[in-house]
Order: sequence, then structure tokens, then C-alpha cells
Amino acid sequence: MSAPAAAEKTRTAPARAPAGFPFGFYRYRNYVLFASTSVFMGLGCIGLLEGLFALGHGPDAWNAWLAHMARPFDLALSLLVLAFTLYFVFRFGWVGRKIGAGRIGPLPRPPLPLPVLGVAPLGGFVVLWLVLLAILGGLLP
Amino acid sequence: MQLRKVKFEVLRFRPEQDQVPVFQSYEVECMEDWVVLDALNAIKDDVDPTLSHRWSCRMGVCGSCGMLVNGRPVLTCAAFVRNYSGTIRVEPLSNFPIVRDLVVDLDGFVDKLKSVKPWIIRKIEKDLAEGEYRQSPEQLDEFKQFSMCINCALCYAACPVLANEPEFVGPAALALGHRYNLDSRDEGNAERFERFDSHDGVYACSYANECSQVCPKHVDPAMAIQQAKLTDFLQWAKLLPKRSFT
Repeated sequence: MSAPAAAEKTRTAPARAPAGFPFGFYRYRNYVLFASTSVFMGLGCIGLLEGLFALGHGPDAWNAWLAHMARPFDLALSLLVLAFTLYFVFRFGWVGRKIGAGRIGPLPRPPLPLPVLGVAPLGGFVVLWLVLLAILGGLLP
Repeated sequence: MQLRKVKFEVLRFRPEQDQVPVFQSYEVECMEDWVVLDALNAIKDDVDPTLSHRWSCRMGVCGSCGMLVNGRPVLTCAAFVRNYSGTIRVEPLSNFPIVRDLVVDLDGFVDKLKSVKPWIIRKIEKDLAEGEYRQSPEQLDEFKQFSMCINCALCYAACPVLANEPEFVGPAALALGHRYNLDSRDEGNAERFERFDSHDGVYACSYANECSQVCPKHVDPAMAIQQAKLTDFLQWAKLLPKRSFT
């Protein structure tokens, strides 16, 4: 006896996005905002690398880079980078609180260096960006 | 008992005649204590027998009757008509293909549940004669919350990540896998690691937290996933020396 032919699958209508996605509901807006932090933090990383590169090429290159960063467009972008990074830090802390590492059942607690290693680069990025803005704002020489 | 005439807009999709889903309106005389599911059953029984929807227990246990009511994923057996004003709009769960009317295709959801190996895995099984695996109430408490899931899929309908990345394993499945990782009788953490650590695993979640908001059983899958990120990272760090980078 031959095996019965596999039943043809019923035609389905495509899945629909949740109501209010992506901008009509505040939790979905938060999701989009959080996702977009990567773009601004990426731009910030490129900016810092450029700054380091200029610093390595002497005072003239450094001053030229500072002058470049002081243009209104770059200054506005720098402020946006800082704002998005701070938003990321806020969300990161919020998630950290949600994790409740001390309450994760029988699994071992993470050794202290791990959370420190996770937070240090983020903290360093924020500090560097604040220093840069302070230099551009004339608060630091 | 007082009756109230309520207008329902129900999304219909009949694959044999509809190219795309369309709304159809019904007016139903609803009693004071009716839930939306009662109204849908009344439509099917007395107005339009062609309407298709899933339901079973009528008491928030089976997880079959999840739908969008005025855009929010809810169990229709627990959504009282009296709590809504004006027209009530009923749609199938978002983020799932629609099979017919309010019935969605859950095959992908079930496959994702299976992919996290939601059963107790032992390195060496005890002989039956040795008795059961014992567990203290404290050990049970460590994962009990995550074991209350009824697989209603409301969390999948609410998840913005799934709207963007349909391959994301998703809240219920990851919470279920995490529940077994937390179980003192289980030794399958390493076996589940590959799925958790995959591109569509825990790190795809960016914690919108909407899954936990709509969960009718307060499972808090968002918390399970954030915890799983940390435990997954520890597992990754543990396996790092054994990895080959060639």
C-alpha cells in the first residue's frame, strides 16, 4: 500500500504587526529608540577613533579635528550621541535590575569582574564623550 | 439580567474567497457578565456559523482563546464586554499567519517551544527502582513562576522583536527553557545553550517588556530572558577555553 500524499497546507494570510507598531505605542517607541542607540553609539565610536588618530598625529591634527568637531552640525551630533548613550545606559541599568542576579535560582552568581567588565567600557565611553564636549564647550583646555 | 447591544468588528479571512483579511460587523445583545468569547460564540451560534475561532476551557487555563481585543492581546474568556465602551474590535493574534478568521497558525510557535528542549535532561538517568528525583519547596520556588505558562502565545503577539525578526525564538519558549535550566533536577543547560546563544536567541530581545505586560499568568517572560542572558553569558565564558577559533 502506498503512503498517503502529504496534505497541502491551507493558504494563510501573512502575519500582521502588533497594533501600534512601531511608533503608535510607547513600549514599541522605546524599542525603536533603543535599537537606534546603536547607530548613534557607532557614530560616536567612529568619532572617538578619529580623535585618537588625530591625537597621534600631533597638535596640528588634534586642533584641526577639534575645529571640525566644533562645527554646529558635529556639535549637535555629539550631543545626540551623548543623549542616546545615556539612554542606553539607563536601559542597561534597568535590565540589570530586572535580572536580579542574586535571585537566579541554583545557577552560580557571576564573579564580580564580569559585571565590572560589562559596565566599564560603557562608563568609559560616556566619560570620554563628556570630556570631549567639555573641551568643545571651553570648560577644559 | 440587563442586556446591552454591542457592535463587534471581527477580522475575517476565508482563504477560499478572501485575498486579504477584511472586517465584518456584528451587533450582539450581550449580558452584563459576558466576556468577549461569549459574544463570539453567540455570533457563531445565532448570527454567522461560518465564523471561526479557537476556545476550550472558558476559564483562563487552556490558553486557546487568545486574540486581539481593541488591539491588545488578551484571553477572550477573561475580557469582560462591560469593560469596553463603543465598538469592540476583535482580531487574530498578531505576529502569526492567519489560517482562517480568528484562527492563527501556531506551527512555528510549537517548533520554537520544542527547540529549547523543554524537558528534564539528565546526564545519567537514575534507575526507576532508585525512585523519583526529589526536590525541596525552596528549589521548586526558584522556577515555579516560569512554569505557569499556558502557551497562549499572547506574548508573541505583543513582541516588537518578533514583528521585526520572525525567527526570534520568542518570550514563551525562552522562559520555558530558562525554567528547565533553573530546575534542580535538570542537567541540560549546556544542551540548551546553543539555541539560547544563537542569533535568534536571548540576545535578540531588547527588553520592550510588553510580553510580561500582556501575560495573563504573570510569568514575566521578560525577566526570564534577561536572567537567561546573564546565565548564557556565564555558560559562554565557561566554554570559551574549549572553543576553537580556526
